[in-house]
Amino acid sequence: MATQAGTKTVQMGYVKTIGIVNNGLNGRGFANPCDLAVHKDGRIFVLNRCDPPRASAVRVGICNLDEEYLGEFGYGYGQGDGQMVWPVAIAFDSRDRLFLTDEHNHRVSIYDDSGKFLEKWGTPGSAEGQLNGPAGIALDQNDNVYVVDQHNHRVQKFTSDGKYLLGWGQLGSGDGEFNMPWGLAVDSEGDVYVADWRNDRIQKFSGDGSFIASFGESGEGEGQFHRPSSVAVDGDGFIYVADWGNERVQVLGVDGSFHVLLRGEATISKWAADYFASNPEEKVERDNSNLIPELPDHLSSPYHISSQTESYFWGPVSVSLDGAGRLYVTETNRHRLQVYQKQ
Amino acid sequence: MTSTATKENTELMAHLLRRAGFGATRQELEQYLDKGYEAVVEDLLHPTDAENMPDDVIRRYHPEQSELRDLTSSGAYWMYRMISTQCPLEEKIALFWHGFLATGYTKLNQARSQLNQVEMFRRNGLGSFRDLLLEISRDPAMLLWLDNTDNHNGAINENFGRELLELFSMGIGNYTEEDVKEGSRAFTGWTLGNAEYMAVRAYKDSIWPYSRIAWHFQYREEDHDNGEKTFLGETGNFNGEDIIDIIAKQEAAALFITTRLFQFFAADEVSEEGEQAIAEMMQAYFDSGYEIRAVLRTLFNSDYFKSESARYARVKGPVELIVGAMRLAGSYQSPTLGIEKVTNQSFFMGQGLLQPPTVEGWHEGSEWIDSGALVERVNFVAQEMGNTSSPGVRDIIDRLSAGNSDTLTPDDLVDQCLDLVGPITVSDATRATLVGFAQRQGDLELKDHQPGDESEQRVANMLRLVASSREFQLA
Repeated sequence: MATQAGTKTVQMGYVKTIGIVNNGLNGRGFANPCDLAVHKDGRIFVLNRCDPPRASAVRVGICNLDEEYLGEFGYGYGQGDGQMVWPVAIAFDSRDRLFLTDEHNHRVSIYDDSGKFLEKWGTPGSAEGQLNGPAGIALDQNDNVYVVDQHNHRVQKFTSDGKYLLGWGQLGSGDGEFNMPWGLAVDSEGDVYVADWRNDRIQKFSGDGSFIASFGESGEGEGQFHRPSSVAVDGDGFIYVADWGNERVQVLGVDGSFHVLLRGEATISKWAADYFASNPEEKVERDNSNLIPELPDHLSSPYHISSQTESYFWGPVSVSLDGAGRLYVTETNRHRLQVYQKQ
Repeated sequence: MTSTATKENTELMAHLLRRAGFGATRQELEQYLDKGYEAVVEDLLHPTDAENMPDDVIRRYHPEQSELRDLTSSGAYWMYRMISTQCPLEEKIALFWHGFLATGYTKLNQARSQLNQVEMFRRNGLGSFRDLLLEISRDPAMLLWLDNTDNHNGAINENFGRELLELFSMGIGNYTEEDVKEGSRAFTGWTLGNAEYMAVRAYKDSIWPYSRIAWHFQYREEDHDNGEKTFLGETGNFNGEDIIDIIAKQEAAALFITTRLFQFFAADEVSEEGEQAIAEMMQAYFDSGYEIRAVLRTLFNSDYFKSESARYARVKGPVELIVGAMRLAGSYQSPTLGIEKVTNQSFFMGQGLLQPPTVEGWHEGSEWIDSGALVERVNFVAQEMGNTSSPGVRDIIDRLSAGNSDTLTPDDLVDQCLDLVGPITVSDATRATLVGFAQRQGDLELKDHQPGDESEQRVANMLRLVASSREFQLA
């Protein structure tokens, strides 16, 4: 699919699917992944939120684009150093340190790229610098840290060691106001994009919090959103949005104009192929099935369609970019990543 | 017409809400009394905006309740709905049908499709019994549960056809073996999409590679038996819809379903007076074109239902008990760690959501109570009602404080706690025990109470005891 806005064209080509559900406590596969960050060396760090039966295994898994599972790290479930309860998002700084938000522990934890815990900061509350449900996290080129403070309905900016710099936002639907915001991104100009989750829009700000623009509205049409959870911006200014409630991803132009809609087209990952190699009876019946079925009216919502149509995005919670023009869509409910290439 | 907030009216309204819902807080009772009994009955029978905890919020914090891969998360998701709904009869009737048209996770390994079935119960549960039977006959979880995926033209599987008559509509003695066979022929070709693949996955409990794939109904014309059939005395080229039409008009079906509704909403045991109420419910069934809403309207407005005979005439099921206590205490009103443990508690008490023990559902009434289950029941409700930080408990404390500028005597404390958790009426022996406990610490001064202080804890301890009483365990 190719579109053009002004002089810029964007085309997204499907590359591959990485992943398989992991219902154990460690090892290859993902367990309700909720975000990822791509290291500058190409390794993909995937944050596994895990469900209650596997809560003790909450962790970051590491793989690469060749679908090699390289390892994982975690410090268990809890409030101790390095531990997590409800992790939400991760991002690297310029020194390859991984910043992680935890919306239950109300803090940011920092690890090196071998998984070693380095430090943590953040205290619960609503005063300046305090956090109530930190969600999305992103760093600018100077390693300033922007954190979505979801239950305080604001964005806060910190130094990388947690010193409060500034913040903006309050509960509401006007310009510069938020309703339970989730993800955010910083572009190469230092402007900040926020997935204003319950307002069904993306808001753009300067790095000091000055309102610049708002993109989208509630709905299922092109350029409309239902509970957008994540946003990413590439070097050309294209804006990638995880339109979570609509179970899709949209790409917008610099001015917020609609360009591309992705519904997902997952294929068999290497890890999935391994599974079917040892479970051929399932593969036989699968090959005889129609995996993109027509559904009755009462199952026609995006959520129900995705629950019945395995190749479509289901729970596309996060969009992430690497330095080579690839888009990674993290699907919480399908325990996998779908990779696209900007062309 | 508004109901004056007399003791009698308040007790009657509380009785209605225990049956048509999961009980009511005092604030809710006051709002209901403002509307009046008959108007409340109509509101309950016509659920509109449930205002329950929104799905998007649940799914954000509990991705496992978005994926709904396993039993615990799926039960927890439904638990949130019941705890937070403002249309309690919508959930209560879904719970009734879940026990009456029972499907179980243990065979299906497909909780999402079971919850789709529950959603169908919400949509159709108060409507036509005929329509509901038709919907359940197209429900993929039911079709796999009772092997209709193996019911083929020329090679019938009678499992669904049999239970449709025996457990879902008429009961043994009202049909023949030939009716079972002929009815089963009419349901050949009624299956689910990708039935063979889904059956393999269900059998193996396979979640691979990318978690569960939910189910949908599919009719396979080429697998349907188009021959002539004779069913309950009628002959024709019947398909499943025709079979349901014939069943719905049977007197035996009317008696069967109204009796089960009576036992769930009015009394575990059917007395002579109860039989009269059931007769009126049957009349409403036929007069309305098989509408469950009309049947329940007749019941809730009947003299029997309003009489003392119907009070505390049912043992609360575990889910009713748990949800009622949590609504009263005001806990879990937003996504919170540990909700899945609440679901497990229900299982420990004998009623695991989405896992009825057999196609017969649960054996209810006094069978809910055994020594192990009773301990679990008492411990759970006592813990809920003993938490002074829960908003519902705080409201009770504040009302006690506001209504008593002076001290509360032990008798006052007992009577007012019994009033505010119900009102519930307890036996003289129970009341004497409660008063005896309160007397150990004498009069209670609440004037300057602070969150969690000794005076509040005394109230909480009394609420724990009240919740532990026999009467609180009954509906």
